[in-house]
Order: sequence, then structure tokens, then C-alpha cells
Amino acid sequence: MYPVSVKEASFDHTLMPPCQAECPLHMEIREYVDLIAQGKIMEALQVIRDTNPFPSICAHVCTAPCETACRRGQVDKPIAIRALKRFAVEFGGDRMIQIEGETRHEERVAIVGSGSAGLSAAYYLRKLGYPVTIFEAYSEVGGMLRVGIPKYRLPREVLDAEVQRLIQMGVEIETSTSVVSLDLLFQMGYKAVFITVGAHQGLRLGIEGEESPGVVDGATFLRETNLGLKPSIGSRVVVVGGGNVAIDAARTALRLGAEDVKLLYRRSREEMPANSSEVEQATEEGIEILFLVTPTKLERRDAELKLTCLRMELGEPDASGRRRPMPVKDSEFSMDFDTLITAIGQAPQIPDDFRLRIGRGSTIRVDPVTLTTNREGVFAGGDAVTGPATVVQALTTGRQAAFRIDEYLQHRYPLVGKGEKEALAGDLFPKTIEAIRKLSRFEPPILSPEERAREFEPVELVYDWGSAVNEARRCLRCGMGAEILSQDRCATCLTCLRICPYHVPYLDDSGTIQIPADQCQACGICVAECPAKVIVLRKPQDRRHINEGLNHALKSADPTKVKPLIIGFCCQYGLYGTGALASLWREAKAGIWIVPVLCVAKIETEHILCAFEMGAEGVFIAGCGQEQCAREDTAFWALQRMEKAKKLLAQIGLEPERLRAFNLYANEPDLAKVLDEFTERVGELHLASVIKQEVKA
Amino acid sequence: MIVAEQKPLEEIGRLIAPYEKVLILGCGTCMTVCGAGGEREVSLLHSALRVAYSRSGDEAHSFLEYTVKRQCDFEFLDVLVDKVKEVDAVLSLGCGVGVQVLAERFPDMPVLPGVNTSFMGASKEWGVWDERCAACGDCRLAETAGICPITRCAKGILNGPCAGSKNGKCEVNKDMDCAWGLIYKGLERLGQLDKMRRYYPPRNFRPIPRPRRIVSKADINLGGGDG
Repeated sequence: MYPVSVKEASFDHTLMPPCQAECPLHMEIREYVDLIAQGKIMEALQVIRDTNPFPSICAHVCTAPCETACRRGQVDKPIAIRALKRFAVEFGGDRMIQIEGETRHEERVAIVGSGSAGLSAAYYLRKLGYPVTIFEAYSEVGGMLRVGIPKYRLPREVLDAEVQRLIQMGVEIETSTSVVSLDLLFQMGYKAVFITVGAHQGLRLGIEGEESPGVVDGATFLRETNLGLKPSIGSRVVVVGGGNVAIDAARTALRLGAEDVKLLYRRSREEMPANSSEVEQATEEGIEILFLVTPTKLERRDAELKLTCLRMELGEPDASGRRRPMPVKDSEFSMDFDTLITAIGQAPQIPDDFRLRIGRGSTIRVDPVTLTTNREGVFAGGDAVTGPATVVQALTTGRQAAFRIDEYLQHRYPLVGKGEKEALAGDLFPKTIEAIRKLSRFEPPILSPEERAREFEPVELVYDWGSAVNEARRCLRCGMGAEILSQDRCATCLTCLRICPYHVPYLDDSGTIQIPADQCQACGICVAECPAKVIVLRKPQDRRHINEGLNHALKSADPTKVKPLIIGFCCQYGLYGTGALASLWREAKAGIWIVPVLCVAKIETEHILCAFEMGAEGVFIAGCGQEQCAREDTAFWALQRMEKAKKLLAQIGLEPERLRAFNLYANEPDLAKVLDEFTERVGELHLASVIKQEVKA
Repeated sequence: MIVAEQKPLEEIGRLIAPYEKVLILGCGTCMTVCGAGGEREVSLLHSALRVAYSRSGDEAHSFLEYTVKRQCDFEFLDVLVDKVKEVDAVLSLGCGVGVQVLAERFPDMPVLPGVNTSFMGASKEWGVWDERCAACGDCRLAETAGICPITRCAKGILNGPCAGSKNGKCEVNKDMDCAWGLIYKGLERLGQLDKMRRYYPPRNFRPIPRPRRIVSKADINLGGGDG
């Protein structure tokens, strides 16, 4: 069998890619995107589930900080990570997954608030084996997920399914139960309490006339709508604010029947904290955004409201780093409308009886590492601690709280930040960016503005299989590229430097070759060409993959050789794994064995020879052509190695026709037919060689 | 750098035929760089031989693989002592120097050449090597703008170009640049065209007395001095 040396199999040297480093949950994004690119959707979902308690929720509402960090953005546009996650969740069968929750501890934990942080803490505490009860003041579970986020962004079935799963895990949920005293909880026998009551109190504008009827804060407006009350808002609505709540309120007003919805924001589009795709969708739906405008006075005349506004201009940056808006002299103007929705921020409301230390913005003060408050056994997290933040941040806090509570209850020292991988830093070099193929981002389909503006139907739809796989193939696989295993054995032959399609390896001042980890695109070309065999890929699985596949195929092949054995090295990326090729080898006439490879550039001449050594009569390589691969030069190198194998085999008396390359994207008349011809030819050659040998004997 | 080419498989097969167990030995310096005998080529050759033997049903032969940093220095070969004891012959993928040093270090062991050492040359791009130096022992590159007429002129003439130079190409091979054409252009660029007018008397082409030896250390006599 092909030797797998211990040296090669030992270490995982991959670095944490920027997407993962930026994700509060540190999800293994690169891993699951790569699995989607191979069409392995269930495996991808497994990876997602390892680090995210509620992937289906994140798949709909995550603000995707990972996409902002994605280095594909330096080349063209970032990978659509959130949409890919949604694809994995829906196609991978997330609904069927059941999570075991076995009680292994006696200490009961109470969670106050059933928002993202509370649900996440409950999930992990349950997995750790604690009896958990969630107390929710509203009549329905979910906190902001339920009462804040509009249905068109998070369908309620998704939330309900996750809550149902928690209940199946054994989490008890008490709705319409407002906790007024923590002492009572401890008296009831709870050993630890996690406070995650969110930030539901809308901040006030502080302008004259704000008390008038017809003025409502964004959080209240969304809550009323989401709990099924239909607030009457008239036909002309003005929303003040520039965050996600403001956008949600404006779009919700539109869906409730308002005809004219305006949004006022005191800075410009650039400073707007709302998610840019949401802003775009809102504009498409007909919401007018007035930038650099601030309200100063509100008057009520009969049923109408009259708002006086000032125009602003941007001055010097303030403490938040954004440019401070300054009023423009004599720029006053006014407008008439029916309802004013203020959405300029929210704060938590913590009952005094909790006796918790409160800090800036009415938030609970906690130790950022242990999440402990000033009271023994009381932990806090989520918006109640940070002020309004994102779902993924709250999920992270919930997970953190679960582990800290576990350590507290088991009297262990907190295990914090251990075993984290080194994060990849640095931007791509301009010459590397230039060499990377530009591939346009596949956007998930969305309903047309006309269709969505009158309904609460989900706006974004899920990818189809092909778009998802092709989108995932755009990933640059940051931080898992090539490395020189031992500089001592490197002959500095410059092969890697000369053949790298991305100009990554370079000679440093001391004449040593360096392959910077933050630039390498992990195509594997230099790994297969290094004459000293000293370059390896950082991921051990990548190193072993082909050898194992080959060994497996050769072991499983029919030893009697009724039909001549043919080994096909086939690329797993793109649609081959599941599409064209899958049907090919399912139908495959006995005798053809497929060795899956992650890009044909990783096939070495030795792999081909190895197949012949173990008794193959023919070998073919199937993958993209030069134009279709997401990487550069891959087909060229696969063919180079095939030519080298042909030359060597010819000297042994094995005909070059026993080797073939198929371009799966080329419009070959019929791949199955071409493969048939190849099989037949190999059969003839095999027969001829058998006869020749017998004659000789 | 020394450039070599691996011998045809068939010839290697003949060389090793008498020996059952053979050590295929790579060299980590020039032979790795020129792609004729580094660690990758060692294992590729090993693979190819295994294919050949499995095809012909030959089960008598077996191989060991190893690559040393440099075969042309004795000290690097010490690690081989135990390995060499296990085999019947060593197939060296080192250059001719390596093969000889090996044979001298292990006089009881047949050492076989696996490559044809070809020339001293350079590589401008991946996979292409060009001869650049003939090791004539009498370097004139200062007079010829850094272009060697001995290696790069098909005729090796010292006063060129000859009448076969057309449009800067050589009559021997129309794709090949005329070395003297290149020399002329190089000297022109350096402002040293006068060197073209100089006459270089024929060199002594009698065989160089071989083997040559260079001694860079001085002979120091630490004896008791004059007294």
C-alpha cells in the first residue's frame, strides 16, 4: 500500500481564518463551506452544529460579521456565508436532528429571560446535564427573537422548532412568569441563576412634544406587532434612527399598510449601523431614507403630527469613531404625518429587587470572563449586560454562561481561552489578489420588492443546490495552505517560487524560501512538485486523503479481475461528487474504482504509478478544465504529472492510452460513452499484454 | 549547478538486475534542484521499479530509499553505514562525483549510477536547464561580456562570429542564438566593443591533464624554524 509516513500524519498546523476569528461563536466556517463545496451537506451541518446551538436561527438573522472579515472581499465579494449556512440547515436535515439531554447533576439552574442568550445557555446547560428552567415574562418564548425581529426575517416555525427541540431535551419553560425576586428563586432550590432579560426599553429622543399620542418607540411597536396586536399607525409613518430596529420598524410599518414610510437618520449612509443589505432591501420596498436629518420639535394638530427637523452636516469623528453630526444653520423644515416611531436605541430594565449592580446605560455589571454579578450564584449576559447587540453575540454569551455556571457549580477553576488556534492576520498581497480568479458571488434569491412589501413572508429564499455548491467553491481556504516542513531539507531549488500561480513563496534576505501562511491559497501544486518532498499542506486530512482513498479502492477491488481494474481520480469539488460523476460510477461497469480527490492539482505522479503497481490496468483523472476550476493552473499540473507517468510507464511497456484525463465541464458528447470507449480500450490492451506474456512463457 | 538526467528505466533495470536488495540513494543538493535525484525522484523511481516488477511477476527484488544532503562529501555518508549493510548494491541518484565518493567510502559495495551527469548549467524557468560552463579551467568571461563562447557557441570558437551567424541565430540550430552575436551585443552595451577587435590566439586544446586538483590551503611548516 501507499506509505503514509508518521511524520506527515502528525500535526494540524492550520491557522484560524479571519471569518472564524470574527465570529463570536468561532464557528468552523472554512470547514463547513469546504464541505458544501464538495456537496457533503450533512457533514457540513454536523460541523455547524458543533459550535452553534441554533443554526437555523443564525441562518436567517445573523448579521454575519464573518462576511465582513472574509478575505474574498479583498478580491471581489465575500463568501455568502450566512446563506450557505441556511442551505446546509435546510438541505442537511436540521429538523430531523435530535439532541440528547441527560440529567447528570442535581443542581437546578434558573434562567431569567428566554431570548437568544437564555435559550443558548439552556441548550448547553442541558447538554452538560443540569436541570434547567427558563422563566419568561411574555406569553411567548424567544425574547427579541419573538418580539423584536419581524417575521419576514425569522419565520416563527424556525424559532418554534428550536424551542421544541429544547423542550425535548428536557428544558422546562415557564411563560408569562415575571421573576420579581432572585431570593425567591434560590428559596425554590435553584443553585445558580442566569439573568438575560434583554434590553426592551426604548430610549427617548428628548424633544418637545414626544409625549403626544401617535408616538411609539420601535421596540414596543415591533413587540405589539409580533405578538399579534395590530397597532394602528395611519398611512404616513416616520421612523427616527439608523439601526436594525429602525429598519425593521419601517419595513414592518409598510407591511401593516402604511403607504408613506420615511426614515430619518442624523448621519450619512456610511455611518449607518444597520445591516447594509437590509437597508438596500428597505429602499427597494419604497422606504425613503432622509440622511443627515434630525427631529427637533413635535406638534400635534387634530389627528396629525407635525415634526420640525434640522439638516445636519458631519464634523470631526467622535468617541465612537464616526463623524459627529452638526446642525446646519437655518435649515429647518417640517413634515406632517400620522405616527412617529422612535428607534434610537434601547436599554435594559432591571428590577431593583434583583439587587444587582447596574452600570452604564442601565446595564448589569458583570465580570467579562466569568459573567458573575455582585451576587453569589447570579450570572448575567446578553443585551441586559451589553446593551442592544446581535443574536450571535447573545448565543455566545449564553454558551459562555453555561460553561461558567458549570465550573461554579462543580467548584472548578474557570478554563478560559485555552487551546485556541493562532489566528491568521494580514491582508492579501496586491500581486496575490491580482492572481486570484475573480468569481462573482451567488446571491440567494429574494422575493421581489412588490411581493414582499405587503406580506410578512420571508424575504430571502434558500439557495438551490448548484448555486450553493458554486458559491462555496469561491472560498479561499485561508490559513490551511502549504508550509515547509523542515527548512533543513529544503534545497532552495525555487520550484515552489516559480510555479506558484499566486506568487506566494519568496526568498528572504538570508536566501531562505518562505511561504507566508496568510497568502497561500492551498491549491497544493507546490506540495506535489517539491523535489525534496518537504512542502506539506497544513491540514493533515488533506495530506492523507488521496493515499487513503487509493488504498481503500485497491483493497475493495475485485481480486479476481474478471474485468480489468481501472482507477479514476475524481475531483470532489463542484457538482461532480453528487452530479455527473456520481451517476457515472453508480452505473459503472464493475472494474472502475473512484478515488475522490479535492482538486486534481493534488494528484501526484506517484499516485498514478501506485495504482498500476497494485494491479490497475488503466487510470483516468476527472476534474475541471483550466477555465472552470476556482483555482489557477490546476488542470495544467494534473496533466504534467500524467505525462510524466506516461513516460515512465512506456518504459515498462505500458501503453500511454491506459491513461486519460476527462474534463468534466467540457461539452464532451457523452461522458459515459467516452468512458466506455476508454474502458474498452484498456480491456483490449490488457488482453494483448496477457497474450504476449503467455506467448513468451 | 550540476545538471543530470535520470537514466532510462530499462538501463537502470539492467544495472540492478544482479542484486536482490538495492538502496536507492538520492542527493539533496544539485540533483534535487535539477529534479533528477531528490527525495521525490527517489520515491518515484522506487514506484516505477515496483510497477515494473509487479508486472513481470518478479518478486526477488526489494528496495530501500534514502536521501542524503550531499553525496560528494564523505561526512554526509556516515549515516549510511547501517543501511548499506542491509543491501547488495547502492543505486546512486547523485552526480558522477557522488557515485565515486560513495564507491570510495564503501569499497566493498557495488555502487551504480542512476543518472547521467550532463553539464553545469542554469535554469531560467521551471523544467528547463541550459548548459553554461564547460569547466575548461581557463576562464575568459571578462572578455566576452559574461557569455561563454566555449559552451554556448556550437563550434566553441574564440574569435567569432563565424560565417554561419544569420540574424543573430546559429547555422547549427536556427532556434539557437549565436553566442558571438550575443557577445557583440553585450560588449556594445558595456561600451567595450574594442574587445571584439582583439585577436585571441588559439588555445591549447590538448587534453587537460586529469584528474585536476585544487589546493586552497597553504603548506605551513610548523617545524622548529631556521635554527
